[in-house]
Amino acid sequence: MAVVSCASKNKRRLPPCRVACPAGVNVQGYIALLQQGKFEEAVELIRKTMPFPAICGRVCFSPCQDACSRKNIDQPVGIRYLKRLAADVEREQGRVEPDPVPKTHSEKVAVVGAGPAGLSAAYELAKLGYPVTVFERMPELGGMMRYGIPDFRLKKYVVANEIAYIEDLGVEIKTGVEFGEDVQLDALLKEGYKAVFIATGTQLSMKLRIPGEDLEGVFHAVEFLRHVSLGKSVDVGEKVAVIGGGNTAIDAARTSLRLGAKEVSILYRRSRKEMPALPDEIEAAEEEGINLCFLVSPKQIIGEAGKVKAVECLRMELGEPDASGRRRPVPIQGSEHTYEVDMVIPAIGQLPETSCLPSILLDERARAISVDPLTLETKIPSVFAGGDIVTGPASVIEAIAAGKRAAVSIDRYLNGKDLGTGREEEIEETTWVKEWEKITKKPERYAAPNVDIGRRKVSFREADELLAKVKELAMFEARRCLECGPCAECLESEGLCEVDKAVVDENLCTGCNVCAIVCPFVAIRKNEREIAQVDENLCKGCGICSASCPERAITMQRFADAEIVTNVVAALGGETI
Amino acid sequence: MFRPKIIGFICNWSLPIGMDVASSGIIHGYPKIRIVRVMCVGRIDPTIVLETFAKGADGVLVIGCPSPDCHYNEGNLQAERKIKMLKKLIWLTGLEPERLRLDWAYAFEIERLAEIINDFRNRVTRLGPSPLTGEKPDVNVLLNMKAAKAAAEDFRLRVSIGRERELTEKENVYGEKISQEEFDALLHEIIEAEFIRHKIHLLTQEKPMSVKEIASITHMKPASVLNHIVDMRRKGMLTLDHVEKTTPLYKALEVQ
Repeated sequence: MAVVSCASKNKRRLPPCRVACPAGVNVQGYIALLQQGKFEEAVELIRKTMPFPAICGRVCFSPCQDACSRKNIDQPVGIRYLKRLAADVEREQGRVEPDPVPKTHSEKVAVVGAGPAGLSAAYELAKLGYPVTVFERMPELGGMMRYGIPDFRLKKYVVANEIAYIEDLGVEIKTGVEFGEDVQLDALLKEGYKAVFIATGTQLSMKLRIPGEDLEGVFHAVEFLRHVSLGKSVDVGEKVAVIGGGNTAIDAARTSLRLGAKEVSILYRRSRKEMPALPDEIEAAEEEGINLCFLVSPKQIIGEAGKVKAVECLRMELGEPDASGRRRPVPIQGSEHTYEVDMVIPAIGQLPETSCLPSILLDERARAISVDPLTLETKIPSVFAGGDIVTGPASVIEAIAAGKRAAVSIDRYLNGKDLGTGREEEIEETTWVKEWEKITKKPERYAAPNVDIGRRKVSFREADELLAKVKELAMFEARRCLECGPCAECLESEGLCEVDKAVVDENLCTGCNVCAIVCPFVAIRKNEREIAQVDENLCKGCGICSASCPERAITMQRFADAEIVTNVVAALGGETI
Repeated sequence: MFRPKIIGFICNWSLPIGMDVASSGIIHGYPKIRIVRVMCVGRIDPTIVLETFAKGADGVLVIGCPSPDCHYNEGNLQAERKIKMLKKLIWLTGLEPERLRLDWAYAFEIERLAEIINDFRNRVTRLGPSPLTGEKPDVNVLLNMKAAKAAAEDFRLRVSIGRERELTEKENVYGEKISQEEFDALLHEIIEAEFIRHKIHLLTQEKPMSVKEIASITHMKPASVLNHIVDMRRKGMLTLDHVEKTTPLYKALEVQ
């Protein structure tokens, strides 16, 4: 059990993992629970902030892990694996089935689009007691989580299971409803929905706009992945070229390999460093034998009898950085060369379907809905928008964050409160900083075992499945957490934490400073009267100071010396063995 | 057959996963040991260990997280130093230092933990019952244990242990650094001196004693006993009670 000292609950002081998470998941909190093997409680703690632990445990780009303090010693804690494992264990043991939340509000809310943004908003609003209806045009829920991310990265039943939890809360779901056709925005407002959240995402593939794009054998990535997810038969060629360097490109390439393509190449116009895809995914693709061709851009797709025969490319070189900060690729004149392929999958970007939306909502280029970034309100009052349709294609966790943000705005709007005030919480990132270099041994991360490569290719088994066997390993991994965050991560209110705290007897303290030296968390400093003072935000209740104080001026509130001696006596006098 | 009473101080993070041991108790299905859970082994005050022996434990086993995986990062290093000091103190009391052992185990290393416990149990069984157990505890050892406990409570000794890492690993304000060997020698001296002073203090509490008497009880040279007495008088631990013929007798003062 993480002993998080908890005298003051200043919620603004957070550890770096939580600060880095767009949705603000209490990472240190659930890691502390995993340290004890409390998998179910950990998942429930995650669900307090967002409804998709298993999904994020698989596909999140895990900024928490990049921010983890442990990286200063060796490697960050494997937060994503841990979250995934926790969620898997909970699912296998039988998912927690929440009772429906009583509808304490009468104002109906409509959510358009059942992707991560829409579902998160519905989840948050349902928890607040609003009657929420989600409209989705596809037969199944999940948006890109279901129709965009292939099965080997994210299984359908995982998505379905997490969405079932949201349904259990009492969210009404209507599938097969085409927004703009079956249901209009004004009609929704007239029907009595007091607020609408639009999160329809980016469903269209960006076109290459080169000759030959309409040939048979050109299949845009989003449609390709959707087709495969729907279980429609898709003929992949022997030799496939995927154009683009994002996660969609990698997913399309790996999917086509699984569907029987013999040779798959990814053509990317910049170099590896600029690839937006997750490094893990790029590595996985390479391991599976996918060719990565850098600094090439298609000039035209050459056809024969209406079918793709080859793709002609230009070599590129990198010039000055562009608006995205990445170096702009510049074509080298006369560097044309061709790749013999029979299928081309462009995956260069996605656009939203805007035809179904009133033009007043859209930005000047009509490529997205323009919103107030703080409150997500659109130009029409009571209509909010978030997720990919606002930001362009992004990540699951960012969509979740948008859904949560929208839910707060809608709640405020329906209660007649100001949408903007006090939204930007002042956050102070608190990291326990000690001399990291003191720690000389650097153990590797306790890695999750991978399913072997051969099997990955032939089946849609999840690429790196975690097994129950690694549960113990997970607890061990969780114990690598330094708990660098302070008391803000306190779980005491959840009844999940034992609090201990060092208390200084000011009459006994002589200011010798030994406690400050031995404290691993720099939680003790001398005050202006030269008396030791415990920073309750940093103290974690280990008791080392108490055991070291030369004047015995420091006692632990919970596990005092006397308490330990009492336990010793009890143990000695206990039953004879 | 002799079955030793062993107290196992196990840190919260080394306690086998899934073992929901109350603050004290016995882990069922394990080699027999009486568990006392502590948050960190660095939290074990030396006086607690001595108290445990005084209360009749035949052995004390301390188990914490292996370096560098201490949950509190440095708690195990703190424990290491305290145990090292304690072994010296225990040796001075006449008890076998082997009755105290510090070892490391991860929470999932259930077999290793069992091995450590078994091994230690065997060792203590071979040593036999502690002289402090049973109907009539050895008075001398008990007195020594009291002296050791008082020494472990002493400012000078505690400050030295507390500052050990700072003194040996970092430079002080004058840019000096003490080598580990130098420090160990210094610490050894402090331990012996504090132990003997507190023993003299305890002895003279009962009745006023002469240097010669003290020397014969403590098996020391009268000259060095006198040295300690001079120091103790300066520190206000002792005073001259009266003079019998030409022999001065000393009496303990209550230490504030």
